[in-house]
Amino acid sequence: MRAAFSAALVEAASRDERVVLLTGDHGYALFDEFRKRCPDQYINAGIAEQNMVGVAAGLAKAGFRPIVYGLSAFVPVRVLEQIKIDVCYEKLPVIFTGDGAGLVYSTLGTSHQSFEDIACLRGVPHIDIMSPCDAHELTACMSTALALESPVYMRMGKADLGAVHVQAPSLVRGELVRVQEGNAPVQLIATGSMVKAACALGAELGVPVWSAPWIKPLDAGQLSSLAAQSRAIVTLEEHSAAGGLGAAVLEAISETTPVPVLRIGVGERFSETCGSYAHAMREHGLDLASVRARVAPFVGKWKMS
Amino acid sequence: MRHSFDPASLRKTVLEMAYAGNAVHLGCAFSIIELLSCLYGRHMRYDKANAADPARDHLVLSKGHGVMAQYACLYELGWLDRTDIDRYFHDGSRLKGLSDAHVPGCEVTSGTLGHGLSVGVGLALAASRRKSGQKCYALVGDGEINEGPIWEAMLFAAHAKLDNLMVIVDANGFQAMGTTDEVMQLGDLGAKFAAFDFDVLTVDGHDREAISAAITDLEGRHNGRPKALVAKTVKGKGVSYMENVNAWHYSRLNPELYAQALRELEGASA
Repeated sequence: MRAAFSAALVEAASRDERVVLLTGDHGYALFDEFRKRCPDQYINAGIAEQNMVGVAAGLAKAGFRPIVYGLSAFVPVRVLEQIKIDVCYEKLPVIFTGDGAGLVYSTLGTSHQSFEDIACLRGVPHIDIMSPCDAHELTACMSTALALESPVYMRMGKADLGAVHVQAPSLVRGELVRVQEGNAPVQLIATGSMVKAACALGAELGVPVWSAPWIKPLDAGQLSSLAAQSRAIVTLEEHSAAGGLGAAVLEAISETTPVPVLRIGVGERFSETCGSYAHAMREHGLDLASVRARVAPFVGKWKMS
Repeated sequence: MRHSFDPASLRKTVLEMAYAGNAVHLGCAFSIIELLSCLYGRHMRYDKANAADPARDHLVLSKGHGVMAQYACLYELGWLDRTDIDRYFHDGSRLKGLSDAHVPGCEVTSGTLGHGLSVGVGLALAASRRKSGQKCYALVGDGEINEGPIWEAMLFAAHAKLDNLMVIVDANGFQAMGTTDEVMQLGDLGAKFAAFDFDVLTVDGHDREAISAAITDLEGRHNGRPKALVAKTVKGKGVSYMENVNAWHYSRLNPELYAQALRELEGASA
């Protein structure tokens, strides 16, 4: 997924000289190719994220197309106010990429783990929140983001879980993409790193699986019609179960087509221990076995009733 | 018609707005009147017929709570109209109590402090990359300099060699709750800018000849160093009972005080 990201950046900058990449001294090795091919469009803004976002806003006001790279713990969370006031209020075309989202930095602890970034941005007007699940979806997300004339946050989580799609899907803004068929009257909706796990579970339980490349906007019409054909919905995300995809799905269907929704995500807690990514996922109950233990009985209940 | 940006007349507009809207921040607007008068009257390049002219110089009011002073200039330019002044803060009106980028002539949304300078750095960087010759003037408050992003922006501006950026400090010595020395002492501000590789001049912020001479001097130095003008100002300047009285950060006018201030300003412009 990171290779796809690098390739998308190089292509965007080569095609459009208004594109500039700003990084807060992050992205070691990731930008080697970009720096080689487009050195004049690369700005290391130093370890100074607040200023970096203000500078990006100024560049965008003057007609540039900034892409701001940071770890998702910092971009958007540390710079939320700059995103709100300097960028979103003026609807400036700035793309923010938050890398290492979720529990990727399992060994670095709380400062680098981020499962509140989506929740922070969902209340800010004018910004799209995208969360691609694999390299193909990322490529499609990037080209959609570049075509928009408004702010975008692209969340990039665990990047080496392998492909979900066989090629770049065609995306419609705000719509879910079906990634697996199933006959059960329950829908599995997942985003980012959790789509792979959703596919595994969906195959076991015979449940259709959807990827959510967008968290915001989220097409309420599509969700309502899905809900209308279903008895229940399960959402999966490597993000807080409060304020993320699950919450967005609930909000979208609650007025028109309420059905029971099981939200799988991070609970009201920080990581307590150190270890591998797999360990962190187990600690938060997001590994496949833990998720299965919650989802299988829920799906079973709504299959039977 | 040529605009004079006469300070007493600008202050009168501010006073009328504040009275119409029962607004605060009078002292914060009065300290920057001569600075804005010089910038709009003598230094900035803009198209009077088009506030959004892409070739304009930018004035970033990072200390957004001084915005009534900028509104007074925009009113003189005809970018705002009399209704904007008379209906300040009335329901459905368009001018807010802090700088707002949706207003023609206002470049940034500020008031939460430490934002505007970075946006100004971005505008200066854009001009520098395009070699457009455009300048960016960023007006910051001395109290605002408490904010961390100001220092990030200073580092960045020097590193990017933005000699088309001028940071103008409204050094009135006060912030909301006291003097700058009481709240968070700034020490020698000029020395701090110099240590960040800025060219710095300090000037009486109410002496228009001195301000203009300093701006012209700094702008003549095409040496890759960003510029800083530390303007020593008086909070509440121009109205006797407001000068250096920090209560006028938040105090509101009553009919008697309004009449007295109006008399003083009309005396000053006569």
